[in-house]
Amino acid sequence: MTAPASPSAVEAVHPLPAWKIWANPIWRRYVRARLRAKHLTIWLILTLVPASFLFFIIRTTAVYRADLVLSDAERSPLVPLLVMQSIILFVLGTGQVAGGMTGEADEGVLDYQRLTPMTPLAKVLGYLFGLPVREYVMFLATLPYTIWALWRGEVPAATWLPLYLVFLSSAVLYHLTGLVAGTVVKNRRWAFLLSIGIVFLLYTVIPQVSRFGLVFFKYFTLSPVFQESFANLMPETASRALRAARALTQNGAPLATEVRFFGLHFSEWIFTLFTQGALILTFVVMLWRRWRRAESHLLGKIWAVGLFAWTQILLLGNALPLIEPGLLFPSREIGRRLRVSAGANWKPQIEEAVGMIGLYGLVTLCLIAVLTMIITATEDEQLRGVRRMRKLGWAHLPRFSDAAGSFWFVVIMALIGALGWTLFARGLVESAWFAGTVFPAHGGWTFALVLLGSGLGFQAMLEARGGKWPFLFGIFVGVVPAMVGAVLAAAQNPFLKAAVWLAGVSPFAAPFFAAQTLIPVPIPLDVGKTIPQAFWFWQSVNVFVVAGLILQLWRVRRQRALSAVEPPTLSALGSSVVAPP
Amino acid sequence: MPAAAIEIRDLRVDYGNFVAVSDVTLSVPAGEIFGLVGPNGAGKTSTFRVLATLMEPTYGEVRLGGIDIFEDPEGARRLMGYMPDLAPVPSDLKVSEFLDLFADAHGIGSAAARRARVDACLEQVALTDRKEAFCKTLSRGQTQRLVLAKTLLHAPKVMILDEPASGMDPLSRRNLRLALRRLADAGTTVFVSSHILSELAEMCSSICVMNRGHLLAAGTVDEVRRLLGRAERTLTVAVLERADAAADWLRIQPAVSELKLASERLSFTFSGTHEEQAALLTGLIGQSLRVTVFEEQKSTFEEILIEVSENNSPA
Repeated sequence: MTAPASPSAVEAVHPLPAWKIWANPIWRRYVRARLRAKHLTIWLILTLVPASFLFFIIRTTAVYRADLVLSDAERSPLVPLLVMQSIILFVLGTGQVAGGMTGEADEGVLDYQRLTPMTPLAKVLGYLFGLPVREYVMFLATLPYTIWALWRGEVPAATWLPLYLVFLSSAVLYHLTGLVAGTVVKNRRWAFLLSIGIVFLLYTVIPQVSRFGLVFFKYFTLSPVFQESFANLMPETASRALRAARALTQNGAPLATEVRFFGLHFSEWIFTLFTQGALILTFVVMLWRRWRRAESHLLGKIWAVGLFAWTQILLLGNALPLIEPGLLFPSREIGRRLRVSAGANWKPQIEEAVGMIGLYGLVTLCLIAVLTMIITATEDEQLRGVRRMRKLGWAHLPRFSDAAGSFWFVVIMALIGALGWTLFARGLVESAWFAGTVFPAHGGWTFALVLLGSGLGFQAMLEARGGKWPFLFGIFVGVVPAMVGAVLAAAQNPFLKAAVWLAGVSPFAAPFFAAQTLIPVPIPLDVGKTIPQAFWFWQSVNVFVVAGLILQLWRVRRQRALSAVEPPTLSALGSSVVAPP
Repeated sequence: MPAAAIEIRDLRVDYGNFVAVSDVTLSVPAGEIFGLVGPNGAGKTSTFRVLATLMEPTYGEVRLGGIDIFEDPEGARRLMGYMPDLAPVPSDLKVSEFLDLFADAHGIGSAAARRARVDACLEQVALTDRKEAFCKTLSRGQTQRLVLAKTLLHAPKVMILDEPASGMDPLSRRNLRLALRRLADAGTTVFVSSHILSELAEMCSSICVMNRGHLLAAGTVDEVRRLLGRAERTLTVAVLERADAAADWLRIQPAVSELKLASERLSFTFSGTHEEQAALLTGLIGQSLRVTVFEEQKSTFEEILIEVSENNSPA
């Protein structure tokens, strides 16, 4: 080893602006590592062979075998190519981001990046666009075929531009999901599976949920814009038929190509970009916090409550305007597909409204649980917080700090959730479709009871006992009784009441029971009467259980405060009690 | 006295109820090679990770070059180079690419300037011939040297090296010592931990000793040895003749015990102060004994540390 160079050899550092992606060292690192000629050649072959096959087989068939005009034939490969591009960027790219991020942490080299004087945002963007750089190149490799098909197929820019804008914003959103998963999950394989699983859910389960009144969720996907553009991407003959079929099933109403948000109207792609943009911002904030401080919660308490309130506004804003036209009800679409009811004969049933209200409550409850997990301090964080508080002579922990309790924030979220749930239920039940039906005055309080009970019970258990107990509780009290109840109900009619009582234990069933209790719909064999009885009984039990859990939480907090041995007071600050920052 | 490059005050790190670092206060002067010694679980790595801004302590203040690392972590990172224990390297990058990444991230100018800096640092750690090799193909010692080169890239004012010599062969270790010495001569402060105690004693101007989260002693190697050494020490005296008379005289001295005589050499345990020790020598000479050796047998660093490790109580 020779003499080291003089420190003056290094110039003063100016942090790299985050938007200069091409100059981002992390992005460049992945360009080098993931675009080596050998590997890239193999991956390009694996991309171009199927892409070429798809393009040529579909185009050749359309041009020479089908009775289509040339422009129609030329646009035929567009949709299959889009599907392939989705697999490349959404599935492979997301998996690569999650796995790559976990891999960096696993190898231990992530710490090196923490030590560089780049801004947290520059680091987030470096990984976001760097990790899937090969997938972007693979996507670009398929683009010539797409461009040819768009050009020769005479597809207007007003169709393909919004579609590809949303396609790219969806890719960024899913990659951010992968990045967050990779940051949180320690195991590379699990991070990969989790992120792929989320994308899979987005395109399978979420669209179903969005059909049951939670319209907002579909804007996390490419689906609404794709459906909007679909007719223009297909050969003209097929799209004419498609338009005609849709117009028929919608009783002469124009094909819905706009999003209603309270009194506002947006095009599908603008609203999708807006929705995805909000979520992208949230994910960036999560990652920014983690880069700024490795032990930080993914979201601060205020941001979590704000995000929850914002989600409620989006859910309501999308759902409420669709009630009166009847577009919110799943039976309309199901009836159309099954060709059992359509047009003027169609009318929603109150049962489906009750189901939708229950689903809204369940999704709200799940959102509260997820955000509670994010903002609740672990025992370790609390102990450290209390010791720091004592050392610095503070009277209490800063209320919004990660170490502070999340109890009151869960209360706020539960109340906001109950308000949103009530507005949704009232809008649905008191719509013109169910003239004469009134949502009871105490309905809001009932919803608040459900959300507060389950939310606070979960929070208290999580904070006092750690994550294992709520997980086991969720399985054995939330899922198993509902499943056993379902099996019992399926067995014989005499078991129906027992099934209802058993399923009523589950916090996941409570929103549906609450909806049925407030808006009684006739269910045969006394099930309709049993549900309110079971609901109120289990809610009463739940009040005591939650009160016990909260008492236990208070005791645990006191024990933790006592176990945090008081260290000597920092001499500079003296021993007087001062307010925390 | 030079200004402190690293100031740690009341630093505490907890993992649940386990106290990894307990109210450590320490000051490392600029331009020194300062060693942190302690057995496994002493709290060395936790202390270093806090200093490196990789970990938030329970409480405490840390300043690097006058910068509060919790207030301005990015400012502190510009000043500091950190080399972790068992330093990892990415498997998908070449040596030159790995270094270029961090030269770039530290804002070292143009591609040409980065290349020059990378070459200089590789030369410093004698890895120039492995420049185009993949990091994953390097041996453990070479990997350590590569990460040391990465740490040197932005010419940090303060270097925090956690067990930098682990995995290095003897020649590389010697070269590392020389390189660190030269860095210190150039004004860089080096805070280094090692469990190879003799190595630290050789390269450090000052050291501190930690055990079970407590800072037991800090100062020059001799000061720490004295602070942690036992009050009783073994003295050896050799005389040209009349060893029996010397033994008789020593036996009646109040602070002397366990005296042994072997071929004109006397060894005994002495529990007096240093003044009394000086008076003892004067007394021997006063007895007209011709003293050829009067020596305190110092405990080795290893002995002290083993003793410290077995004894939990802070000094």
